[in-house]
Formats: sequence, C-alpha cells, structure tokens
Amino acid sequence: MKSFIIAYMYPDLMNLFADRGNIICLQKRMQWYGFPCKVQAVHIGTALSFDEVDMVFMGGGSDRGLKSIYGDLASRADDFKQAVEDQLPVLCIGNAYQLLGREYETAEGMQSGLNLCDFYTTLAQERMVGNIVLENSITGQKQFIVGFENHTGKTFLTDKASPFASVIKGYGNNGEDGSEGINYKNLVGTYLHGPLLPKNPHIADYFIQTMVQRRGIRTDWQHTLDDTIEWLAHEQIKSRVLKGR
Amino acid sequence: MRKILAIFVAKLALWASRLLGYGGTDFPGRLARKIYPAILSDLAANIDEEIFIVTGTNGKTTTTNMIAAMIKEEGYTYVHNAAGANMMGGITTSFIEATNLMGTRHFDYALLEADEANVPLLIKEISPRVVLITNFFADQLDRFGELDHTINLIKDAVRGQDIELVLNADDPLVSHFQNETGLHCWYYGFDQTDYDSPSSTHNREGQFCVFCGHKLRYERYHYAQLGKYYCPECGNSNPRANFIAKNLRMSPAIQFEVNDMEIYSPYQGFYNAYNILAAVSLAKLVGMRDEAVQKAIAKYEPRAGRMEIFNIDSKKTILVLVKNATGFNQTLQMLSQDPASKNLFIALNDNAADGRDISWIWDVDFAFLADKHSRPQHYICSGQRSGDMALRIKYDGLPVDHIHISASLKDGILETLSLPGETAYILSSYTALFACRNILLKLQKQYGSPLTAEQQDQSMLTSS
Ligand SMILES: [Zn+2]
Repeated sequence: MKSFIIAYMYPDLMNLFADRGNIICLQKRMQWYGFPCKVQAVHIGTALSFDEVDMVFMGGGSDRGLKSIYGDLASRADDFKQAVEDQLPVLCIGNAYQLLGREYETAEGMQSGLNLCDFYTTLAQERMVGNIVLENSITGQKQFIVGFENHTGKTFLTDKASPFASVIKGYGNNGEDGSEGINYKNLVGTYLHGPLLPKNPHIADYFIQTMVQRRGIRTDWQHTLDDTIEWLAHEQIKSRVLKGR
Repeated sequence: MRKILAIFVAKLALWASRLLGYGGTDFPGRLARKIYPAILSDLAANIDEEIFIVTGTNGKTTTTNMIAAMIKEEGYTYVHNAAGANMMGGITTSFIEATNLMGTRHFDYALLEADEANVPLLIKEISPRVVLITNFFADQLDRFGELDHTINLIKDAVRGQDIELVLNADDPLVSHFQNETGLHCWYYGFDQTDYDSPSSTHNREGQFCVFCGHKLRYERYHYAQLGKYYCPECGNSNPRANFIAKNLRMSPAIQFEVNDMEIYSPYQGFYNAYNILAAVSLAKLVGMRDEAVQKAIAKYEPRAGRMEIFNIDSKKTILVLVKNATGFNQTLQMLSQDPASKNLFIALNDNAADGRDISWIWDVDFAFLADKHSRPQHYICSGQRSGDMALRIKYDGLPVDHIHISASLKDGILETLSLPGETAYILSSYTALFACRNILLKLQKQYGSPLTAEQQDQSMLTSS
C-alpha cells in the first residue's frame, strides 16, 4: 500500500503548545491499524502539492511564528482552499485556526485571514484559559471531547459556518455563544491546543477514517484498538471538569 | 518612623505566619511595602559590598544557593531570599527578616533570586553590581508567548545602568544582550563534551536567530537549545566565553575545569553542570578565592526535592522534581545513563503551581528509551493526570503492559518499590512532591533496613 502522508505545516514555528502530540497520535494509530503513514514536514519554501497528501495539520504558534509563516501560507491559499473543497481532512489549532477566517486581530491591529471559512476573530480583554469539555456528533453519534484552551482571540462564526462542537464547560470560540471551533467539510479548526487527539481517540479515528475512505479503501473497521488508557485519561479530566474540579 | 513600623509589622506577620505553619513569605514583604514603599531601597543601602541578582528560566534557585554557599565559605555575611520567594514581596521579606527592628543592620552581600518578570521592578529599587541570567526557556506554557516580552523588559531595564551581566554563551536567546544593552557582558559556556549530540529533538523558539529570524544551525547541542550555533544568514554565533568549562565528566559525579580550576560536585545532570558553571563564573568575576569556590561546590548537596536519595529496603530510591519538558528530558537522559536496573514512577498534577496545562508532556521524549538497555522496566503513572502521563508513554512506543496507572501516590510508590530492580526513580510535579517525599521518608524510617518476609508481604498487600 502506498504510504499515507500527513503534511505537518511549519513544525518549528507552529508548535507552541506541544501540538505535535496530535501528529504522534495520528501516525501511531495509522500504523496500529495497519496503514503505513509518513509525516511530511512543510517549512517556509518547501514544495507541497495538496493533491499528494492525505491530511494537513497545523498547530498554534507565537505571534512571531505566525508572522513569519503568513506570507508563505498566503501564497498557497488558493491550492489550500481547493483541497478543502475536495474534502481534504485538515486540522488547525489556535492561531492557525484563526488564520482560516476572514480576519483576525493581534496586538498590532486587524489582519486579513486566508478567508477559507466565514468567521472573524477579535481580541478579548481577558485570556480564556482552562480545561474544557465539548460535545459533538462528528463521528455519527453524540460524544464528549476534552481538552485545554488558552486564547485571547474571540472568534465569531457567521450564519454560513458551523462550529466543531458545542461547549459543555469552558469558553470555546468566544465565551458567549456556546460554540467551539469550526467544521467545514473535513476541515476542523479549534482552540483545543496541545494533545487534543490522544485522549479523544474517536476524533483521531474520525480523521483516520476520512483519510482512508478518500483513498477509496474499503474496510469494515473490525480491527479496533485497545483504547483503555485513552478513555481513562479522557474520563479523568472530564469528570474533574464537570465536577468543577 | 514609617520604616520602623513597616519592619515591625512585617516581622510580626512573618512570625505569625510561621507560627500558623504557613510557608508563605510573600505577604510580610508586601505588607511592609504598603506601609513604607521605600523599604526595600532603604534596607538595600545597608549592603556594604555588592548586590547580585540571579534570574532566568531554569536553575536560578540552585545557582543562587551555590553562590550563597561560596559567600558563606568566604566568611561574609549576606541577605538571601528563600527558594521560590522571588517576587518583590518575597525579596522584601528576606531583607526584613535579616535586619534588626531599627533596620540598621549591615551585611556584606545580597544575593537575590528574581523571577524574570520582576527584574525590571527590582532594578528600579536597588542597584546590583551583577545580573546573572541562566537561560531563557519556554517554561510554564501558560506564560509562554510572553518570553520575548520578558526578555525585552529585562533588556530595557538594564540598559544604561552601571551593571555587569553574566550570561550563558550557549543560549542563543541571551547572547545578544551585549549588542542591545551596551553593558559589559561576561560569558560562560561549555567546550565540546562527550554528552553532546548533533541534533536536538525538543526545542522550538530558541532555534531562530534573534537578529534576523533565520533558522539557526547547530554544530552541536549540549542540551535543549544550548549549544554551538551560528546563523547562516547574518553570521550571528556564540559569543566568545570568558569562562570556558572543559573536560566535562558526569559519572559518578559532575567534574570539569574552568580556566584551569578543577570543579567537583555530587550533583547529576547537564543542567546542573550549567548551574555550577554559572555560579563559579560569577564567583571568579567578583574575585572569590578558588579554594572557597571549590570547597563550597564540593560540599553542596542536592536540596530536598530537587533530587534526593532514599534507602528503602536496600533499594536506592531517587526523588526528582520535574516541572517542565526540559527538566524532564534531562532527568530521563540522566536515568538512562544509570546502568542499574530500575523502575520509574511519575506523579503528574495540574494544580496552579504545577501549571494547569500539561500539554508540555508531549514535548518530553520517551521514544529514545525504547532501545536503551538501561531503560526502566515498568512505568507507574500517578497523580491527578496519571492517564495523560500513561498515554504519553504509550504513544512513544513503550510496551503497554509495562505502563501502570495508580491515581493514589502511596499505592503507586509502593507498587514501584515492590517491583524487582536495584533502583526506583520517583519523579513528581510540584504539588505532589511534598506528599511523595513524606511517603518516602516514612518508608525509609520503617524499612530502612532490609524488609523481613512478613513486611514484604504486607507491603505487597497494600500496593495491590
Ligand atoms: Zn541571523
């Protein structure tokens, strides 16, 4: 089987909160399922054809990091947009998520986004930080998602955009409307930074199944993994957050 | 008059909080500063010789304590703030505690460990001769992103002052202080060592040139972003070190030479070698005698919690505080260099003092252990986030049936000690440390001598 390829965008500059945990998780689970999987690091100036990769991942960076990669990513925006329309699985976290919208605010003022999706982000007075519990049906059934958020951006979706999940406890997009992240076709943008996928194995598997189906590979997913530790970690934090710590 | 009132009230508050068993040393100082805002600059005027400030992300407590040991060895008097009390309040408390009721007692030196963000405030109130910066790492991720900001604040604060800087020549984030402050800078660094590697897996922000933003190239890494680097774009590279450490040995203890002075320390790990080198460099700079420096370092034993050795049922049990990815990676490197058979216990909490966000554990590299002969046999994960810790280890490819979860610290430690192996490593994040230490102290008291068969059965029972 031809190796699956996950494009890891700017691993040096956009890995502020150990978001690479998600890459480690995807690659390991693919291997455990029996699908060979490679991670292709994409740096500034690296050639990348979106047709030849199975997924795109981009973590959050510092303001400095975001500034450095902005021009490079903007030059790929048209291809990127086409790939998203073609159902390419994409996961963007933190300010990489903000970048997908119409515009976002930094300490230096409003900046234009890549305009892949219809939302915008302003700066809040206070940092929204803490453990968070969400709920969505992206896997076909209602399930919880746990994670950690830490952002000053307040993101507002327009009517045309759908959130990734709804907030059970925490701030989410803006601390006001109960929405978290964005989901458009197979693109997910979220504020849940750090290792989101390891302790939400159903979300990791959602991306994996999407990748595999896009290749036209038929599988009945009978080969399941032992996720005892995954769900234990998930429950540990979920029950603490829901109990108010 | 207000000064004497401030001292009196703060001493009273200090006495009361000690009586009530609070360790907190920030409050008395803050109280005194409310009553008499000039209290710190007034008391600092009683320092007859010099004031030294030690700051940076990692190692400031150890470095400061070592310098204190040298000053003591030289027979001087000094004011020194206690570990952790490194904000304005805590520093003020330490001066108040040392002085008399009239606030007139004189000391030779003041040696102040300062939180990075407090350095600008501190320099407004007192005039140090030297500011020593250990390193700048992305520490608690809650605060990160502010690192650039903090570095700039420190630069602004020292610019134009009559201050000398002692800096780590191997850290690309501190090495540009000279150009941007115009101050006299003294650098320390390591020569090539046997422990260097050509690549580093876990560093991020520090890899970029502070002048032009280009990615730095490294000839070798000592640890994390510390090493021999250059910028292919603008030519920026390590400044020439004034204090160069050569012939580093780390087993069985740390040994090296700085400008022909031999240093020996019972400490372990590369990060401690840096702390020692930093302390020695400052001591040489201000003219302490070699003999006093060597003696102080050799006598300086690891402090409670930073790394402490217990003997339980004739098993060597080593307690280590881990609070960020850099320290954790260093600890794993160290234990992989220990040839003894061993098991590893890790307690991970996520209280405010630990850092609420535990994402950083994904910057800890366990994968290299997989093919090491001397790797731990079993991994026992404990604390509030035992699940996350176990997941981290699982995803780095260590055998799942050797990863155990025990949310209770006591059960986890007992399980670890009951497994076969010569040594047990007990790693703990900050808020679990004291509990772990108490458990180990109790066990050492109970089972300091070899266990009887009966006791062994009992301890097995409690652990299951
Ligand atoms: Zn440069």
